[in-house]
Amino acid sequence: MTDQANLERAYRRLLAWYPREFRRENGEEILAVLMASAPPGQRRPGLAESADLICNGLWMRLRPSVPRSARTVRAAVRLMYAGAAVSTVNLIMLVAVIAVIRARHAVLGHSLTAAQVSKFNALGITVWIVWSLIPIALWLWMALANGCGRNWARILSTVLFGFATLDLTGPFGTPGIRVSAVPVVFGPAVPVLTWLVGLAVVWLLWRPASGAFFKPPGHTQAQHQAQMADRAHQAQMAELARIRSTRGTVPA
Amino acid sequence: MILTALADGSQHGYGIIADVQEISGGQVRLRPGTLYTALDRLRADELIGVDREEIVDGRLRRYYRLTPAGTKRLAAEAARLQAHATVALTRLDPAGGMAT
Repeated sequence: MTDQANLERAYRRLLAWYPREFRRENGEEILAVLMASAPPGQRRPGLAESADLICNGLWMRLRPSVPRSARTVRAAVRLMYAGAAVSTVNLIMLVAVIAVIRARHAVLGHSLTAAQVSKFNALGITVWIVWSLIPIALWLWMALANGCGRNWARILSTVLFGFATLDLTGPFGTPGIRVSAVPVVFGPAVPVLTWLVGLAVVWLLWRPASGAFFKPPGHTQAQHQAQMADRAHQAQMAELARIRSTRGTVPA
Repeated sequence: MILTALADGSQHGYGIIADVQEISGGQVRLRPGTLYTALDRLRADELIGVDREEIVDGRLRRYYRLTPAGTKRLAAEAARLQAHATVALTRLDPAGGMAT
């Protein structure tokens, strides 16, 4: 296999970081630009070039793809990313607090009771960290699904917000998993803050202005158009393949 | 800068990269990943559109051009920068500013 074919394969692998939709639309073209920019004799993508493709691909997957016209939904999606950010920062701070408490305990010896110490054992902390990752994942998932205009995501977001409310008000809280020292340090500020973000999100999602984004008129028509575009694309790719095979620019 | 590159006619991806490098006096070298993220954004905002597609050497080449909205945005942006530059030059050299 020639250097050029190797390079092309490597670029194709990097392009896999992009969303499928975007790749279908622009993939061949980006590849053409990448190959044209590559100095002769280059065998593999450069480090900066790879990082650029990976970062942009990830950004394309994560950024809200809501049109400007749907302002309320755009705001809601942004708030959901903010919620994920707050949860992440919170988790990092809590881990730091636990580390400090453990270190102190090691220095001071028996100043903590056996029950308090048992809460900070390694397994418990691991389970707790994994548990804390769930809300972050949920925020991101809801941001993506709502950003794609899925109506079930709007409903699920509301249900999750309901659970968050119950969790905040107490009766269905999960005391076994909470670390008792933590609320003493931070107070209820973070849960209340995330709850308020959730409230704003649900309010925005159910505004009349958001309705059009979740139930676009003539949905079947849009699907039909997508199918037609897909067919046109396939025809174009077939044409490309035909030209390549006749010219033999890329060895099979 | 991408809009500027498209101001005097349609260009394809590689042409835009080369043009932006030239406009910026070699300072800005767009990477393809960054370029296409920006192009996607500009297309979504309807500031640019696809002019035509060609197949050159077995590879797809897509030419982009400014839409009327893109032309308007570029003009507004250029006017803003010019106003900014004028104020800066005047403050740096008040006498020269008044003389001209």
